[in-house]
Amino acid sequence: MMLLAKAALGLGGTIVLAGAYTMREGVIRVDVDEFRSGGSHVHMWVPAAAVPMAMHLVPDKHWRHASEQAREAIPILHAIVKELKKYPDADFVEVMDHDQHVRIRTHDGKLQIDVDAPDEKVHVLCPLSTIEDVTIQLEEHGPAA
Amino acid sequence: MSDRYRTLFAKTALITTTALLLSPLGAFAQATAAPASSSQSTTSASKDRWLHVRVISSDAKGETVRVNVPLELAEKVLPAIHQDRIHDGKVKIDNAHMNDVDLRALVDAIRTTKDGEFVTVQSNDCDVRVAKQNNHLIVHVLDKQNSKKSEVEVKVPMKVIDALFSAGKDELDLVAALHALSAQGDTELVSVKDHENTVRVWLDSKNVTD
Repeated sequence: MMLLAKAALGLGGTIVLAGAYTMREGVIRVDVDEFRSGGSHVHMWVPAAAVPMAMHLVPDKHWRHASEQAREAIPILHAIVKELKKYPDADFVEVMDHDQHVRIRTHDGKLQIDVDAPDEKVHVLCPLSTIEDVTIQLEEHGPAA
Repeated sequence: MSDRYRTLFAKTALITTTALLLSPLGAFAQATAAPASSSQSTTSASKDRWLHVRVISSDAKGETVRVNVPLELAEKVLPAIHQDRIHDGKVKIDNAHMNDVDLRALVDAIRTTKDGEFVTVQSNDCDVRVAKQNNHLIVHVLDKQNSKKSEVEVKVPMKVIDALFSAGKDELDLVAALHALSAQGDTELVSVKDHENTVRVWLDSKNVTD
């Protein structure tokens, strides 16, 4: 029983530490449902801490290509994200009518985009720090870098 | 170590492990309960100034648009935009679109003039009033053409107009205007009311609309 307890304690501690490390920056959540024939249904749940690790595995040529494509948007995106981090809980845009609802806000340091329409539902939740990490990587791989 | 203590230690270790494994669930539960309390906060740090736009349509679709923008965010983001006529937080104005009106001279004239009414038009169709009052430029239009009246009121602080025209010739300095706007107290800038739509643009320190 003693051995079992020690093993359980070790395993439990490892799982908790690994879980805490993986979840320390929250999760990226993407839910897309298109209510039409052939419409896509995407449901993704990724630990945000995995993104910086995964970025190291992306080949440089892909970074350069993405950076070139997003050249004009990167400084704007970087400035927006940097400023949004100062407003971790705020509603920025809300559009409603009798059957549609669009909302862009920050909640708990995450950018949240919700679209509820009769023909589609889109819900995106992404930590601002993750978006900033990606924009920094794109800037570093840009032509000026 | 006696058997009694060994058993006690083993039990303690098992309970600790179970508690450790269950603790993230507790944290998750707290995180999901958090929105109710965080959404209560409507006033951000006092230095933050927010520009709000609200459009409420009373037609069949009943559309409502709410936009809340921190002025500081707009001030920081605008210089990053380099597209068409917008560069470094300034927008180029084309002489061709000004119908040969020297806008800068016009602003200079308004700035140096004492408070008063510059334009007053009263007709069966509409009333128009352009005035300078308490260091604000006020434009008021009342359209009486239709059976359902519409009313537009624009009230801009003179300091904002000065800042807007503080850039070089044929340029409007949007960042300077926003900076000047952020120094103003709570104020309503634009109000449009007609039989179908209500539009309001105003400035305050709250990060949500009412």
